[in-house]
Amino acid sequence: MKLLIYAIAYLIFLYAPIILLPIFAFNDATIIAFPLSGFTTEWFSELTQNSALHAAVQNSLIIAVCTAIFATILGLCAARAGAMSDFPGKKGITGFIMLPLVLPEIIVAVALLVILRQVLGLSLGNWTIIMAHVLICTPFSIAILNGAFGALDPAMEEAALDLGESRWSAFRLVTLPLVMPGIISSMLIAFTISLDEFIIAFFLTGSNPTMPVYIWGLLRFPKSLPVIMALGTILVALSVVLLTIAEIFRRRGVRRAGGTDTGGFL
Amino acid sequence: MTDLIKLRGVDKYYGDYHALRGINLTIRAGEFFSLLGPSGCGKTTLLRVIAGFEGVSGGTVMISDKDMKDVPPNQRPTNMVFQSYAIFPHLSVGENVAFGLRKSKLSKTDKAKAMEDALSMVGLAGYGSRAAHALSGGQRQRVALARALILKPKVLLLDEPLSALDKKMREHMQVELIRLQRAVGITFILVTHDQEEALVMSDRIAVMFAGEIGQLDDPETLYRRPNSRRVAEFIGKMNFLPGQVVAVGEAITLDVAGFGRTDVPTVQAPEGAKLGDAAIGIRPETLAILFDGEKASRHEAAAVVDEVVYYGDMTYYDVRVKDVPEPLTIAMKNMIGRPVLEVGAQTRIAWDERAIVVF
Repeated sequence: MKLLIYAIAYLIFLYAPIILLPIFAFNDATIIAFPLSGFTTEWFSELTQNSALHAAVQNSLIIAVCTAIFATILGLCAARAGAMSDFPGKKGITGFIMLPLVLPEIIVAVALLVILRQVLGLSLGNWTIIMAHVLICTPFSIAILNGAFGALDPAMEEAALDLGESRWSAFRLVTLPLVMPGIISSMLIAFTISLDEFIIAFFLTGSNPTMPVYIWGLLRFPKSLPVIMALGTILVALSVVLLTIAEIFRRRGVRRAGGTDTGGFL
Repeated sequence: MTDLIKLRGVDKYYGDYHALRGINLTIRAGEFFSLLGPSGCGKTTLLRVIAGFEGVSGGTVMISDKDMKDVPPNQRPTNMVFQSYAIFPHLSVGENVAFGLRKSKLSKTDKAKAMEDALSMVGLAGYGSRAAHALSGGQRQRVALARALILKPKVLLLDEPLSALDKKMREHMQVELIRLQRAVGITFILVTHDQEEALVMSDRIAVMFAGEIGQLDDPETLYRRPNSRRVAEFIGKMNFLPGQVVAVGEAITLDVAGFGRTDVPTVQAPEGAKLGDAAIGIRPETLAILFDGEKASRHEAAAVVDEVVYYGDMTYYDVRVKDVPEPLTIAMKNMIGRPVLEVGAQTRIAWDERAIVVF
């Protein structure tokens, strides 16, 4: 009983702020305060008419998709090397690759800004954000794909090789289908991380802001707060759906490769 | 029989670790050959060298008189049954078995027929459309066999194929593998740490220790005349007694502790006998307890029962014989009317000098 109360209190602590988003997104008042004054979908329809927001969302989607693809390709290479071959200094290298996972984003952002602007003298744009997002998403991709490759019997690829396939076709016909759920899971996670990443995007964004940066800009106008609530509601729903799909694929992957589940992100 | 595989001075290093130490080995076409040894002796490494999954650090590997240097696994006339079976879980049983035919120029119907033939050969006819991940251990093993044999390799390599099965299934598959090998006439090379499995299945066995071949012989020679104490200890049980070689001529004259002077045939010293101290080996089943009124056909000695282990079909006795430092183990078949002795019982044992091995 005590444990149950504790669990409920914990869940409230975790999720109460997020629950407030949809409540005020449908509230018929520009001031964010209780009591609620009535139900409206006005804020959502306002979202559909804001062209600056649309441009920001489009930017964010392009960045997130590119990040997902690049981070997963890099993760695939690293995870495969880690799982299937042994080389000197493997442990150290793996550790270094995973480091950005715990590195404060603000440091990555400042460092990248200095290098790109001061050292290399490049102009900022979507591709600079993509590069930075690949940097922070790759460790997540590696973590997920390590799980997928870890559950894979190394004899699988050798068996395909033994049966006459080349190295590449053995990978394509046997390894790839078996780790595909991990690949999809990795892409979805990277996509989600990139989509709502703020600090790096804020530092490295050029003239076209990403969605989180645009939302931050909106905060200066109290009237637009409910619109942000509406946008936030959509983002939360989207994140939950994507993460759930990612987890389903990860579990399916572990099952398919014949391993036992050792826990993932959800 | 013609020689199929020739290994000459094969060395393999992993860093500083010397996994294979100058292996010389010839395997004949059509034989059932086993690599037997404790874990870490290099038997699996040797198998993977033949398959091409591991390169060699020195020496040559020849298959059908062709140097296999730089020939990748997918172009060698070998196929492998992996210890884990490595059945592709995302494919059906039929797709698994027919996997090796992807590159072949056979028509679709011929491929389907070859797949069916391979499946019926291993007793899985009609299983083609089943999902591979739903199979039992024994069935996976059969699929792995069918998948490897469909390419009609010159050599089938089996890496501990029975170790994942329970005892009953394992004994059943041993017989099936022998039958299969005779039916297809392909050279089988089996890696195993199970001496009984090797004895049951093989035409010849190479016993490996620490990257070297300790002895290579047919099962009977290996069991009856092991060339060293470590081979004798690894295969079956053996009693060791101190002794002395006092003369070597047409026979070897020995003084054996507790048993006195005796002559044994020279073949009983596989590595030859030198005058002086020697270790004398006697297998437990070549000794016998003499029950009331029984007489030894050759020699006998007085003994005291030290330990009794009852196995159902057999009873193992440890007995003390005067002047023999360690108790001797004797294996006796349990027969009707034959009692099981108790610890401390006075008895007589029979021994036969023709069963003695001199090291």
